[in-house]
Amino acid sequence: MLKQEALKKKRLNKVGDFFMEYLVLMAIVALVIVTAIVEPRFLTANNFRNIMGQFGPLSFTALGMTFIILGGFIDLSLPGMISLIAMITLSLFDVIGEVPAMIFGMALGVFLGAFNGTLLVRVGATTQAKALFITFGMSQIYGAISQLITGGHPISRLFIEHPAPITQNLSSGTIGDIFGFSSFLDSIPITFIVFLFFLAILFIFQKKTVLGRSINYTGGNFLAAELGGIPTKRIMVMIYSICGFMVAIGAIAAFSRTPVAAPEIIGANYERDSIMAVVVGGTSLTGGRGNVLRTVLGVSLIILLSNCMNLMQINSHLQEVFRGAVLVTAIWLDHRRHANA
Amino acid sequence: MKRKILAILLVTALALVMVAACGDDTPDRQAGDSARGMFITQSLTNASQAFSADEFQRLAGEFNIEMTIAGGDVADNIASIERAIADGFDAIFINPNDIEAVIPALTRAREEGIIVGLFSSQPPEGMAETYPYDFFAGSDDVLGGIQAGEFVSQQFPNGANFVEVGGQAGHIAAVSRHDGFRQGKNDNIVELASRFVTGPWESGEARDIMEDFLVTFGDQIDIVWCHWDNGASGVIEAVVAAGIDPTDIFIIGYDGNSTGYQQVKDGLQALSVGQSFTNMARESLRMARTMLDGGTVSPRLNWIPVDMVTIDTIDSFPWPAW
Repeated sequence: MLKQEALKKKRLNKVGDFFMEYLVLMAIVALVIVTAIVEPRFLTANNFRNIMGQFGPLSFTALGMTFIILGGFIDLSLPGMISLIAMITLSLFDVIGEVPAMIFGMALGVFLGAFNGTLLVRVGATTQAKALFITFGMSQIYGAISQLITGGHPISRLFIEHPAPITQNLSSGTIGDIFGFSSFLDSIPITFIVFLFFLAILFIFQKKTVLGRSINYTGGNFLAAELGGIPTKRIMVMIYSICGFMVAIGAIAAFSRTPVAAPEIIGANYERDSIMAVVVGGTSLTGGRGNVLRTVLGVSLIILLSNCMNLMQINSHLQEVFRGAVLVTAIWLDHRRHANA
Repeated sequence: MKRKILAILLVTALALVMVAACGDDTPDRQAGDSARGMFITQSLTNASQAFSADEFQRLAGEFNIEMTIAGGDVADNIASIERAIADGFDAIFINPNDIEAVIPALTRAREEGIIVGLFSSQPPEGMAETYPYDFFAGSDDVLGGIQAGEFVSQQFPNGANFVEVGGQAGHIAAVSRHDGFRQGKNDNIVELASRFVTGPWESGEARDIMEDFLVTFGDQIDIVWCHWDNGASGVIEAVVAAGIDPTDIFIIGYDGNSTGYQQVKDGLQALSVGQSFTNMARESLRMARTMLDGGTVSPRLNWIPVDMVTIDTIDSFPWPAW
């Protein structure tokens, strides 16, 4: 009798674990079903194209943030970094041309990220709380520099004389536009392909390389990782550099979506949404557990949530309530998972 | 004993300094004398405010006023007013984040003899007479919305459907433009849907919203009422990406900045409701100068009309520098 009860309890635990593990996936499925019933236009090709297009900036910054959180840290400097990278890159279009300006922007992203990481190492900020305040301060600095450079004025692509075909087509173009064929693939936005490319690289890096796995160990227990011979300080600089690079890609995707980029407005809220995407996806906020594929689920849920609520004509303020509720639920679930581990 | 004497001497000296400081040391002002003004505004991340600051500095010389610029959040606004009082400024031009939160500080500034001009933010409803200010110069977002509503009603006498891509949710300008448009349009202009962006007037989010509107309503959309020109850029991108000719939809933006002007000129945007920050700054400085020279300002509320910038009227307005 006791054995039967134990088996039943074990089965229930397994069901509970399954729900905990795949809750985001189930939420996405539920959201899709409900929206498709309420608003059949959700299932149209145009809408799928929109959803894939909206994967743009947030998906890149969230991939970068995944490594920071996996390593047990946090980065609130995203808004300032995006603003600075976008403003400098766009300013350089007419000076050195589109491609060199973009390469410079990516290099700047790596530099700013490495600077953040080095600063944290130098000041001995080996906890998430310290990193939170320092990177917040850095965001203020980067944002203010972008204001100084532009005098607070937005930069409009309409007034850039140098041709910028990549910027123009990155968000609005499809792979059909490039290769000239017509099929379902015709509607896949170029940004989505770029996203899949970086996702594959970062997934392989995290799962198949020693350095990648070291990030999880560092985030799981910083002191133990250090005692175990993992170069934790170098890992810190590396994860912030990776994040900086992905933020630069995100900045390029952001200014390719609309012709106008205003300093400090272009990057606003990306730190919040990126952290939300990572945590909602199931990567532990305390570090050590998670991966980039989970972040894809998190980004998908956020984008789908927004798309579904728009299609169902839910009030803008109520949409914010739902977003906040999703974040709170995700953190609560993360806490539960952590407690059960 | 020595310490006591020293303490008494110090207290006496301090008292004498305080008495001297309380004396009326305000120099007699002659008409046209140089004066110091401070433009206190919301965050300078807002392009319109950055441009306004530039215009204040550019035009101040004409009125022999030396300008200082201060931007920031509510606490920064209050701190700047206190600094203006402490440093003996002659005039404050303010576009506060929270019009009511700065009332005590502005009251004190006026008590100290500082001229207070409200810039672009009118006194709260019912407080036009009691609010601590000397004059106001600005456009009325409600009035701008009304004019836009009336304009589309004339353009579509047989009726049309519109969607609204609103500015930052909860922002007073977004709320006023939303309300004004509904007051100005006639019943033939029918609302399909209305959304506000959650970020600070972010044009990428405007594009996201428009993309979703196009999926939901497709070719039912005749008019897009977008609360800002940079947002209209996002709307245009969404329309083009959906394979629709932007000239097939009547896209309206607000602000009258250079992006809006260019989009109107290129035929991508039908109308930009323009605010003239140059005229607002000039009027503010003119009224301050009048008061500094001992004159009075009437009326206190000085409305600067909005410009209706279309392809037909664009050449009659100076090209905006922001």
